[in-house]
Amino acid sequence: MSSAFRTGTGRATDWILLGATVVFSILWLLPIIWVVAMSLKPNAELMRSTAGFLPVPFTFDNYIGITKLATVPRWLMHSFVVAASMTAMVLIVSSLAGYAFARLDFPFKRTLFLLTLAGLMVPEQAVFIPLFTMFADWGMHNTHAALVMPRVAVPIGVFLMTQFFRAVPRELEEAAELDHASHFTIFRRIMLPLSVPALTTLGLFTFIFAWNDFLWPLVSATRADMFTVTVGLASIQGNFAFSEGLGSVMASAVFASLPIVILFLIFQRFIVAGVALGTGK
Amino acid sequence: MHHSKTLARLALATALVGSAGSAAFSADISFLRFFGDCQTEYGTVTDVAAANGECGIITVLTNKFNAENTIGAKVVTQTVDWGAYYDQLTATYSTGNIPDVAVMHSSVLPNFSDRDLLTPLGDAFAAAGIDTADFVPAALKNATTKDTLYALPYDLHALLFHVNTDLMKEAGFVNDDGTVRLPTSPEEMLSMGREFKEKTGKYFIAAESQSSEGMMVRLWQSFMWQQGVDVLAADGKTASINTPEGQKAADLIKALYDEGLANTALDYPGAEQAFLNGEAGILINGTWVVDSYNAQAASGEATLKNYQVANVPPIFGASKVWADSHMWVMPKDESRTPEEAEAAMAFMKFLNDNNFQWARTGHLSVRQSVIDSPEFAALPHRGEYSATAENATALPAVQNQRAIFAAMYSDFNAMWLTGTSSADALSAMQDSVDQILRRNR
Amino acid sequence: MTRAGSSVTRAPGTAFLFLAPFLAVYAVFLVYPLFKGIWISLHDWELAGGYREYIGFLNYEDLWFDKLFWRTVRNTLLFVAMTVPTMTLLALVLALAVHGPGRVKSVLRSVFFLSSVFSVSVVTLIWSMVLSADQGLLVPLWDAMGIKPINFLGHPTLAMPSIALATLWWGVGLPMALFLAALGQIPQELYEAAELDHAPRFTVLRRITLPSIRHTVLLVVVLQIIGQFQIFGQVHLMTQGGPANRTRTMVQYIYDTGFRDWQVGYASAMAMALFVLMFGFSMLQLWLGRKGDEA
Repeated sequence: MSSAFRTGTGRATDWILLGATVVFSILWLLPIIWVVAMSLKPNAELMRSTAGFLPVPFTFDNYIGITKLATVPRWLMHSFVVAASMTAMVLIVSSLAGYAFARLDFPFKRTLFLLTLAGLMVPEQAVFIPLFTMFADWGMHNTHAALVMPRVAVPIGVFLMTQFFRAVPRELEEAAELDHASHFTIFRRIMLPLSVPALTTLGLFTFIFAWNDFLWPLVSATRADMFTVTVGLASIQGNFAFSEGLGSVMASAVFASLPIVILFLIFQRFIVAGVALGTGK
Repeated sequence: MHHSKTLARLALATALVGSAGSAAFSADISFLRFFGDCQTEYGTVTDVAAANGECGIITVLTNKFNAENTIGAKVVTQTVDWGAYYDQLTATYSTGNIPDVAVMHSSVLPNFSDRDLLTPLGDAFAAAGIDTADFVPAALKNATTKDTLYALPYDLHALLFHVNTDLMKEAGFVNDDGTVRLPTSPEEMLSMGREFKEKTGKYFIAAESQSSEGMMVRLWQSFMWQQGVDVLAADGKTASINTPEGQKAADLIKALYDEGLANTALDYPGAEQAFLNGEAGILINGTWVVDSYNAQAASGEATLKNYQVANVPPIFGASKVWADSHMWVMPKDESRTPEEAEAAMAFMKFLNDNNFQWARTGHLSVRQSVIDSPEFAALPHRGEYSATAENATALPAVQNQRAIFAAMYSDFNAMWLTGTSSADALSAMQDSVDQILRRNR
Repeated sequence: MTRAGSSVTRAPGTAFLFLAPFLAVYAVFLVYPLFKGIWISLHDWELAGGYREYIGFLNYEDLWFDKLFWRTVRNTLLFVAMTVPTMTLLALVLALAVHGPGRVKSVLRSVFFLSSVFSVSVVTLIWSMVLSADQGLLVPLWDAMGIKPINFLGHPTLAMPSIALATLWWGVGLPMALFLAALGQIPQELYEAAELDHAPRFTVLRRITLPSIRHTVLLVVVLQIIGQFQIFGQVHLMTQGGPANRTRTMVQYIYDTGFRDWQVGYASAMAMALFVLMFGFSMLQLWLGRKGDEA
């Protein structure tokens, strides 16, 4: 039972509170259940009425339609490539920089660290227009690189890894140092394996962030065959789609969300645990 | 130069003539347009007669071109939601995927042609055999800026009154000959509206009234022209919005909502649904849906059974109505190869040859030969709004039309969405538009 | 916090190698664009067609007199005021409710975090449908009761709260996770002592729990402010800034100005203004938080 609440006589209240939370969670899920139900009903039926949480009359047609056209699968492919690349690069870049800040000394270290932290304050909107002109000049819009690169230098990643590495007890490295191991070896053989939990969390959050990125892909990936899931789903929300193919639109949304939901369900343990690490006490 | 190109192509064609099914050259043309996505319904159809509505007809025409052209050209379509279309088109100049053929409103053309973003087409049309003399003078004028032809005119579209004859009959507004009686003054519009509401219990008017398409602004602009006032000056530097005429027109429209004669909650599909479900007597929409509604009414599946079209009446005196025009342009692209340019031109010629098919949507044709043809005359309902072609008044060729329009309907719609007075709304509109016009060079 | 003290080795060469990837990307994709953005804001710069003209601070002057801009500032502040306190409170309440062992609570945690995993366009799709006046989730309910359904997203006063509601549903996951982590750090001894004293539940909450997590509360509030200031997707897709500019936010105005009206210079100036505003608010918040610590 939650220690935050428990007292001697509070058992009944505990159950009531839990019950209320369960009811609330069902209400919380209703929009999702409703949308899934709609995705499994025929478009014609939905033009008549959208009511009901059960998919009756039932049809798989909307989903079959999606798989026949290459559109939604292509969105998924682009989102995956971008999210996976971004995550990999963020992890590499952040852990390398984090190690440097945590364990090495060099000129201007303090300044550089503050500079990095300052970057936390800069919102993406302050730079997305100049970034747009830069990539336009390089002729690099509508590429995966354009969607990934601006996001790799996230100060938060460096900050998290620095905090983490600082908290690692020195003894573990001292043994290696006695053997005259290079910093790179220490990093690779000792620090990285230790930081798997932190890396997992950072990676998870980066992946989700990449998946949900909207403003930048909206202006950079303008070719329909380069749309990510987020931009693609936004493009079908115009008036037209809503009035005619409601079931198809809902099915697209469900289909496009499945991967990230599955990913979440598999890795959900790491989220709270990782957050604890990040705010590390 | 011309000769050697022709010779080269001839040689190439001769060399390849033996191989079955292979084209002289293979060019992918990127085609950017709105009009909707109806791949599921028309994805593989090539019989244009079987298509209805803007989306259907343009999709099938594209399919037909792809199937039948002999130069190995393939049109790859990208559809964009109407509201986001110009954002997308503009972005392509920076993101390196400039389309080869794109649709454009004549009201927006200056923005692009003035910045040298479009390919001049005059010579290309001549080479392809497109007869520019066949275009009605107004259409040709719209497609030309600074004496250069930049676009292929495709239609003239305008506002119309779409009428539910049965409901109007119930209200006693149908004459003996079957035509419908429409108001000829603001007072009459309101009194007819009240009578309609009393007798049928339904809304007199249905129109898109929310935040994204500004249908009522177009009606208001029509009312301004009817009073002899140009909302935007031809030089693009001043706007006449906050004027007594503007006030009168705004008051009428506001009164329609305030008295419950029109439903404020309708967005574009909602307004269409309301009309088709028999919940309104008159739908204010355009020429682009005549074919759609006709088909739906005839099919028996909609509540609307007896449908007719009418010109927007001279409520404020003159017979003038808002109009715009769809055209096809070839955005300027240095990386476009001659083969692609030729293929794009072939596609444009094909579209021009099939102008009649497009006119089946309800849009007015811009080719005199089509207008004069018996097939055109035989199209349903056309006789009911033939005067629209003459009453059509277009906005002047001024920059930043879209921004101006967006600013206008944001402030205008406030009259019924947030209860702002017409004076305040017009004053806000004037300020917003002035701010935008200051940037026009 | 750090046990090992500051035993770092002096190794500039190696450090450079470790830092190079990060610094390179950081310089090219964050520092340089920031300065370029300031440069662009000093120009009349068009998105397409190559028109560039240096106009100094004219954009900022125009901004000062731009009524729509100030409207968007007001809307953005209103939105932040609407979402930040409620989001923080909701996240806290949920965290308290689902904290602890047990299968049920574990499932509940997943449920409340699940909605955060979706893209903004999925969330707007879901909520546009839910709130729709003729096809919405609650429409059958209104019909049964004979009430005319409200057009939430088209209603002048209800549009923004509606967007706030969708945002709450979407965003509560992360703050809740932060609170859960913080709750997990509270030493058990504190609770055991309270139990011995038979302290009532609410006192425990007030005297032990909340003070222990106050740093997290501050962190959540700052993060939320930064996040909600940047709201774009929900407004762009659900209301397009309407009705009558009631929900038009700063980022949306920046986007429209830059990418619809081609006024990239003016949009950049606006983006700078947004940056300054956000920076100011975050600093204020942190300073207040520090003062609270000293109290």
